[in-house]
Amino acid sequence: MNDKKKADYRQGIIVFLVLAVLTAIEVAVANYLDNPGVPLIIIALVKAGLIVQFFMHIYRLWREESH
Amino acid sequence: MGAVAEEIHEPHVEEASYKERTRRNRLGLWLFLFSEIFLFGALLAARYYLWGDTRPELDQMVGLITTSILLLSSFFMARAETAIGHDNRKTFMRSLALTALLGIAFLIGVVGVEWGGHLKPTDGAYGAIFYAMTGLHALHVFSGVILIAIVWNRGRQGDFSAERHWGVEATAVYWHFVDVVWVFFYPALYLIGTAA
Repeated sequence: MNDKKKADYRQGIIVFLVLAVLTAIEVAVANYLDNPGVPLIIIALVKAGLIVQFFMHIYRLWREESH
Repeated sequence: MGAVAEEIHEPHVEEASYKERTRRNRLGLWLFLFSEIFLFGALLAARYYLWGDTRPELDQMVGLITTSILLLSSFFMARAETAIGHDNRKTFMRSLALTALLGIAFLIGVVGVEWGGHLKPTDGAYGAIFYAMTGLHALHVFSGVILIAIVWNRGRQGDFSAERHWGVEATAVYWHFVDVVWVFFYPALYLIGTAA
């Protein structure tokens, strides 16, 4: 497996783990804060940003790719 | 004229044409998803307006499990796209199948389990918003599973390669979009506000 291939697979795993941790933080925030609305929306925005950037590859809209 | 026709069949010209078509298709898909934001955004706005700082009593464990399942399905979808990008067909097919299975598991969790709870569509604003949000989202998950099944079947027949896999990319982007929607729906339905 070449380095590029390894890096691509590794990136998917890292993003997934970060999303899982953020989901766990969401549950903790909802349980421990009296008014968790704003922090939960901020966490959701971060999660959405990660998915849009690393899973949906929005940058392909303005950067040429091989496929 | 003959020279032009001959040139069109040159491999590098075909490749350039495929790239150009993919670029246009990509823009079209993102514009479609942009329009979908207004649909789901309107539902979210209705939730915050009608429920305010309250929410219906829902099974927290079902919410967390379904959210985790959808997140995991997004991971396998991304893995499938990475795999076909490196011509790794075995991982591509396996990851795609796992994504579809997890999508079905999500549907079972929401439609089969959560919809069988005490909250009914006729229970005022709580029921109406809950079923509209989860119903419309489930419909998108269902259509995503159908798309994945089509891509899987084409993959089984040898379609797609590292250079040509727009069908895989489009399905992946759609699937991840459905996940992004749930990223906002999960806290709105299960975590924000006091259970009434």
